[in-house]
Amino acid sequence: MKQFFSYKNLAGIGGILIFILLWESTIRLGSYDFEFIVSPSQIAAAWLPMLLTANFWNELTHTLTAALIGWLLAAICGIILGISMGLSSRLRQCLMASFELLRPLPGVAFAPVGLILFGFSLKMELLVIFFPTLWPIVGNTLSGIDQQSNRLHELVKIYHIPPLQAAFSIYGPAAAASILVGLRISASLAVIMAVIAEMIGNPEGLGYAIIREQQGLHPAEMFAYIITLGVIGILVNQLLIQLAKWLMPGQFLRTTS
Amino acid sequence: MQLFKKLLNPLISCAPVLIGFILWETFAASTSTNFPPPSLWLASILKLNKNHQFYSALLETLWTFGIGLFIASFLGFVIGLLIGTSHTFKIWIAYVLEFFRCLPPPVIIPIAVLILGYSPTMKITVIVIASIWPILLNVVSAINQLGNGLFEMGKTLHLNRVDILRKLLIPAILPGFLIGISVAAPLAVIITLLIEMLTAMPGLGGLMIAGQRNFNASQVFGILIVVGIVGLAVNQLSLFLEKILLAYKPPKTQR
Repeated sequence: MKQFFSYKNLAGIGGILIFILLWESTIRLGSYDFEFIVSPSQIAAAWLPMLLTANFWNELTHTLTAALIGWLLAAICGIILGISMGLSSRLRQCLMASFELLRPLPGVAFAPVGLILFGFSLKMELLVIFFPTLWPIVGNTLSGIDQQSNRLHELVKIYHIPPLQAAFSIYGPAAAASILVGLRISASLAVIMAVIAEMIGNPEGLGYAIIREQQGLHPAEMFAYIITLGVIGILVNQLLIQLAKWLMPGQFLRTTS
Repeated sequence: MQLFKKLLNPLISCAPVLIGFILWETFAASTSTNFPPPSLWLASILKLNKNHQFYSALLETLWTFGIGLFIASFLGFVIGLLIGTSHTFKIWIAYVLEFFRCLPPPVIIPIAVLILGYSPTMKITVIVIASIWPILLNVVSAINQLGNGLFEMGKTLHLNRVDILRKLLIPAILPGFLIGISVAAPLAVIITLLIEMLTAMPGLGGLMIAGQRNFNASQVFGILIVVGIVGLAVNQLSLFLEKILLAYKPPKTQR
């Protein structure tokens, strides 16, 4: 699949143009009255003035900041939890079943709980983001530690490296490639969960903006926000892929394929 | 002794959750508005059940989820097969697919609400559109990873197109397809609950948001546990499905 997403795929760009043209012409020709589907030109007309307003950028920053904070919290807790579960078999025995019980719990179910506990606030949003993004990081860190060879354990034993130092300077870096995969999965999840939290609860950010435009029956603005989110999704994904490639050249590709 | 150990191990591994519940039950005041003790959660579920609300909501959610995921799997498989087997089409459609894959799935809900209104059709359409991408993309990439050898063998054996599809292609891409479903299933649960929460339509999500609006915390926590059990069951079911369907040991994919 990879070679089709290279920058040289002109046909892919052509595909997008054809898609937009088809969309535009179906609306323009008007064989069927789409009351609430607007044409790409109308979306662009709504989008460009929107880009100049401070409100739009505030909403964008709010969503991204919330996703980033939630993701960082999940990353810190997840990596620590994953490494300690990977290194201590006693701890793993105690936590594994709870992990398996809690992991499939749909994150969106935390939105009403968050609303009851924190009201319409950033804390509620962070709870909704934190919980689902934690599991991919824990799982990937754990499997990264599991994949290490016995040599590494022997090395730690021979040099009498204290456990804490071993965790940070030996096992952590050795599992880094796998941890990065977990971080990448949960980063895109964090953006999704931020949008969900804003749609249901916290009345700020892009998620709320979409709902607001939908309820105000402004389809052009709504589509503009949705396309903004799509672009953000692509950018976040690409940014993390490039970052991972830059941090660990070679290794990253091997672990994801 | 052996039996004792067998009983003890699961108990130890569930200990954090169990201890948490026991602590919560003992230390939470029964009048607490934010943290009602677990026994009250059960009571509120039983109360809902008495009003015949709980059972119908559970069925509604499971039914919508099941239908949505089934349609998404079928369409994802067929469209993935069509895209994967045609090289030119795949190149042309790559960026469009990439955009839809990166689009956060919940944003489809407002569009669908505007076009289809608050209806069961809208619910199922949203679930299908949101959960089809992992399935479709996994089928496409499974086909991409197949070596030429498989098709050459088919040609050598003079298989016709139907037989190539039935005997070679489908068994070879089944693992990818199942991975796609196991990614899509939790997503479909989330989307089902989210639609019910946003539109306050009948279902577990609707009950949760109703509980939150009435400041009935024990109902919210009770449904949270039910939702957790549903999530766990979906997870176990997809693992089970994988085990049964892949019992024939699919051919190794090569690059």
